[in-house]
Amino acid sequence: MQKNTIVTDVFIVGAGPSGLAAAIHLADKFKEKGEERRILLIEKGSTVGAHILSGAVIKPEVFKDLLSDEEFNKLPFDSEIISDKTVKLSENGALTLPFHPPYMNNMGNRIALLGRICKYLASIAEKKGVEIYTGFSASEVLYEDNKVVGVKTIDTGVDRHGNKLKNFQEGTSVRANIVIFAEGTCGSLTKTLIRRFNLDSGRNPQIYSLAIKELWSVPEGNIKAGRVFHTFGYPLNSNEEFGGGFIYGLKGNKAAIGLVVGLDFVDPAFDIHAAMQVWKQHPKVSGFIEGGRVLECGAKTLPEGGYLAIPKLYGDNFMIVGDSGGFVAMPALKGVHLAVASGMCAAKAAALALGKNDTSGSQLAYYEELVQGGRIRDELYPVRNFRQSFTGGMVSGTLKFGVQLVTGGSLPILGNLTTEPDNKTLKKTDEYTGKPFKERFAGKLEFDKKLTLDKVTAVFYSKANHDEEQIVHLVINDKETFTRINMREYGTPCQYFCPAEVYEVHVDREGRESLRIHAENCLHCKTCDIKSPLDGITWMTPYGGDGPEYVNM
Amino acid sequence: MPLTIISLIKQVPLPSEMRMGKDGLMDRTKAKSIINIDCSFGLEAGLQLKNKHPDAKLIVCSMGPPSFKVSLKKAIAMGYDEAYLLSDRKLGGSDTYATGLALSLMLKHLGFSKDSMEPFVIVAGRQTSDGDTAHVPSQVAENLHIPQATFLETAESDGTHIVVKRIIEGGYRIMRLPMPCVLSLTTTGIHPRRPSLYGAVKARSAEVTVFGVDELGIPQDKVGVSGSPTIVVRVANIVSDRALVKMSKGLDAKALVEGMVKDIAAGKNCVEKKEKKVGRKKERPDYPEVDFRNGYRGILTWAEIVRGKIIRPSLELLTPARELASALGNETKVTTLLIGNDVDGLATTLIEHGSDEVIVVNDKRLEEFLVMPFATIFAGVIGDLKPEIALFPATTAGRELAPRISVKTHGGVTADCTGLEIGEYIDRKNKQIFKPILESHRPTYGESKLATILGFVCPQISTARAGTFAVPERREGRGGIISQRRVDLDEEDLKVEIIETVRGEAGLQSLFEADIIVSGGRSAGEIDNLSLVKELVQALRRQGVRAEWAVSRPLVDGGYAEYARQIGQTGKTVRPKVYIAVAISGAIQHVAGMKESEMIVAIDHNSKASIFSHSDFGIVGEYEDILPELIEKVDSGFTFGIEAEKSR
Repeated sequence: MQKNTIVTDVFIVGAGPSGLAAAIHLADKFKEKGEERRILLIEKGSTVGAHILSGAVIKPEVFKDLLSDEEFNKLPFDSEIISDKTVKLSENGALTLPFHPPYMNNMGNRIALLGRICKYLASIAEKKGVEIYTGFSASEVLYEDNKVVGVKTIDTGVDRHGNKLKNFQEGTSVRANIVIFAEGTCGSLTKTLIRRFNLDSGRNPQIYSLAIKELWSVPEGNIKAGRVFHTFGYPLNSNEEFGGGFIYGLKGNKAAIGLVVGLDFVDPAFDIHAAMQVWKQHPKVSGFIEGGRVLECGAKTLPEGGYLAIPKLYGDNFMIVGDSGGFVAMPALKGVHLAVASGMCAAKAAALALGKNDTSGSQLAYYEELVQGGRIRDELYPVRNFRQSFTGGMVSGTLKFGVQLVTGGSLPILGNLTTEPDNKTLKKTDEYTGKPFKERFAGKLEFDKKLTLDKVTAVFYSKANHDEEQIVHLVINDKETFTRINMREYGTPCQYFCPAEVYEVHVDREGRESLRIHAENCLHCKTCDIKSPLDGITWMTPYGGDGPEYVNM
Repeated sequence: MPLTIISLIKQVPLPSEMRMGKDGLMDRTKAKSIINIDCSFGLEAGLQLKNKHPDAKLIVCSMGPPSFKVSLKKAIAMGYDEAYLLSDRKLGGSDTYATGLALSLMLKHLGFSKDSMEPFVIVAGRQTSDGDTAHVPSQVAENLHIPQATFLETAESDGTHIVVKRIIEGGYRIMRLPMPCVLSLTTTGIHPRRPSLYGAVKARSAEVTVFGVDELGIPQDKVGVSGSPTIVVRVANIVSDRALVKMSKGLDAKALVEGMVKDIAAGKNCVEKKEKKVGRKKERPDYPEVDFRNGYRGILTWAEIVRGKIIRPSLELLTPARELASALGNETKVTTLLIGNDVDGLATTLIEHGSDEVIVVNDKRLEEFLVMPFATIFAGVIGDLKPEIALFPATTAGRELAPRISVKTHGGVTADCTGLEIGEYIDRKNKQIFKPILESHRPTYGESKLATILGFVCPQISTARAGTFAVPERREGRGGIISQRRVDLDEEDLKVEIIETVRGEAGLQSLFEADIIVSGGRSAGEIDNLSLVKELVQALRRQGVRAEWAVSRPLVDGGYAEYARQIGQTGKTVRPKVYIAVAISGAIQHVAGMKESEMIVAIDHNSKASIFSHSDFGIVGEYEDILPELIEKVDSGFTFGIEAEKSR
């Protein structure tokens, strides 16, 4: 083989649930057909699971389609759900709803630590002959005649300015008949594909939420394994912020807790990490974790645009699966089962295409047919207008959603709802009329590092690290407009919304402001890429193996 | 003839994940494993040599359990061609002597020896994080009878020879070695590359060839516990002697500096003295005492000469030597070997400091230390004198010389000791007591543990850490014997050429006299060409304080400062009243040159930087923000508690 070039039948970018499901299902299909084909998968985390973060309450059925009974029975779920409550929080009170909001009943579902599930799926894939390489990041899509022909991994051994060092290693070009992009939320290569081929034309823009999650070891008796609580209301402002909290009881006296907030908020100084810490101070929440200690922290965005925001999922020689495609079911906020389902659909389409020796877009269109003909559409279509209804806050949203429940998802008069992308919803500093964030939560923003954590401490508990000897992977696209618009007009919102204190506004002794980027803290949540006004920041993949080292997130 | 580049690596537990098991030994089972950091620099050095020798074959070797294959495959992913693992249960419990022997037998089996027709170079790491001995490279070299150079920063080929930069105390030495040879690399060289995906794919299907002891024809009594002349008898925890740093964190530079000024006024944290747990002593059984010394008597030490003077650590050695001699009784003698060119005049000094006898070897070719002839001379002296103990200073020279000698004398070495005493060993299995025996105590596992090691072959060899023992008082007129020893040097031992020796103590005496040293790291050079560091020094001087500025190594490499200003293992070692580290991450080599400072203040943007674990006061922040505030403070009279010179 040519130096620095690898050839494979199928190349999968990302070892999350969708990529692994695609790999496993493809391997099964090839075996069924008696074909010897190579499936190669890379993952930027140092191990499978290192960059996986999810709640997670999972609908287990889809795994029965993917795995044999024996394999299914060994899936390392944490616990079965024994109770499921929805709680409305106000600043000083809590009201447990006597019923479940529609689509939110979780009885029969399982609580899982998704990283563990992925590790297990990876072991199955490896057994079936899939080659998995962890600690490698893809930095570039390779094209020939405007068609995807492969992917290149990042060059390593360069300094901050990109100059080659003595230990320079050129990235590897992987040439594949089919590339499956399973990069997860807001995939950096997927983003370039969508732009290049206008895959989002005629669709709603994708919108996102940011989830901050903490894993706690709690005293015996605080919460039973299998108990699930979802909160809404406080600390979010029901008129302009969408989201809520979750508290899941895990085996071994552990609790997974988190706050998920839609990135369509309007306050340029809104700080989701801080909001999470405020939420934890609410007596209904703090009761679960008091006396315990934090084990891990992390953050990740998730696509919430739903059915109408799913881009065209294929083209010549490529397909997009999982969160990169936007397969998350709202209002249940579940995507794992759909990610698996999308991976399986892509695998079916890939197997057929390779069998016919035709991997063109028109052949791979079969993938989208499968998506449209199966469980994904069944689940997503009726709630296609759900999330958009809430862009004006929870109150009007609840009304609009109520209508959809009756009509099967359509909104008479209004039709399908569109949205604005998240980078357009912020108000400029002088146009924002709400209570400033710091006043809103006055007295609750001093973190004690026991119950509440500052951002740097949370980063410590994510074990995030990045080699300093590399190009800064967070790129300010246009310094001039960034300074003029992002910084002056919007007050540099990235310094607030970034959960990892990557962005710092430095004021020198003459009062001049400049932006400093502490890329080593980055949790790979990609909020900056999504939320910065005017596409201010691009999140690029750093060296493989860098980033958080999640164990049980 | 194509060159073969052989890298020796060890897989070690991630140092931060190591825990001590209930049995007092390190529990390695739970920790994640990595290629020992020094070894990965060795791997990179091997890959760099290939630049000059594109046809070279790269092979990687290790000795250990089958789980070590992961690291060998990683080496293949980095660019190595073949991997070999010596793996056998019988190897369990091997000390460095047995390891060096086994590895060299594997290399011989693969066709690499002194008489190989094809040239080869062996690259290794300086030492391992779970052993810290730095013995194995020397022992492999001696077993193969080939030249060596250890503690290297760089190694380059000039086509026929390897030109290396060897770290020595207070400087470095450029040397030129013939092939074959053994090189050991420190972590200050070229950083190990990340494997490419191409390499990882190649590594996946690559085979690691595994050898067992029997396949190589290694006799059973030469490996494992029975082949190891030394054993570890105890491991105890060490309490750090520098208390926890007082840190200031936040975003407001002014407040940070204010905070630190207050902290300094309040004084540094003190080490909590933990009471030693007294273990339940087992009763001493009534076994017969065995004297295993086999007629070996007396203590031999080495007087290392640098630029015509006996170095201090060699005089320090005479303190434990005298103590051991009196503990042994029976008029045990301390003999010192003095090797150099025209060094007779120094013999009296040694006797005045405590040697009973000095053996002088003079040869103009021995003016500078060279490991091979020195080891040969030592082996000859040991053969004639039959000392029971041999002590060396744990300098870069002593630490490569002692293990090389130990191979010649078939004994073990204990590296870098901080305590030496005469004790006994109760062998409960065979119901006997070995007495007297040398108990060597040495810190290990990143200075967190103190191990006690015994050797059962004479001479029992140890190297003693510099600065641990006091120099014995000089008694003028003390009597002793001075004898000359004639040696015929073997040309084979003189094939390594010293091209240049550079020592940092030359020039800039002001650095040794300064009360406050402000030292800048890489970004302090890159960002403002050290101007804030220099301004702070100027401000301190305006207050009448003796202040000087210095730098860490990358700034000398980058041309921002002259070499005389470099602090660290390869530069100057300083002990000012206050050392201010600006934007210095705290690489171990830098820390070695400043850790004895009375007070250490660190300013760095990375709260995880290791400099903070060596500091009394720390500020987490960008130095460009902090220093202007600090300079303002100094201008208004703050001098870190140092009195102005004029008021003295």
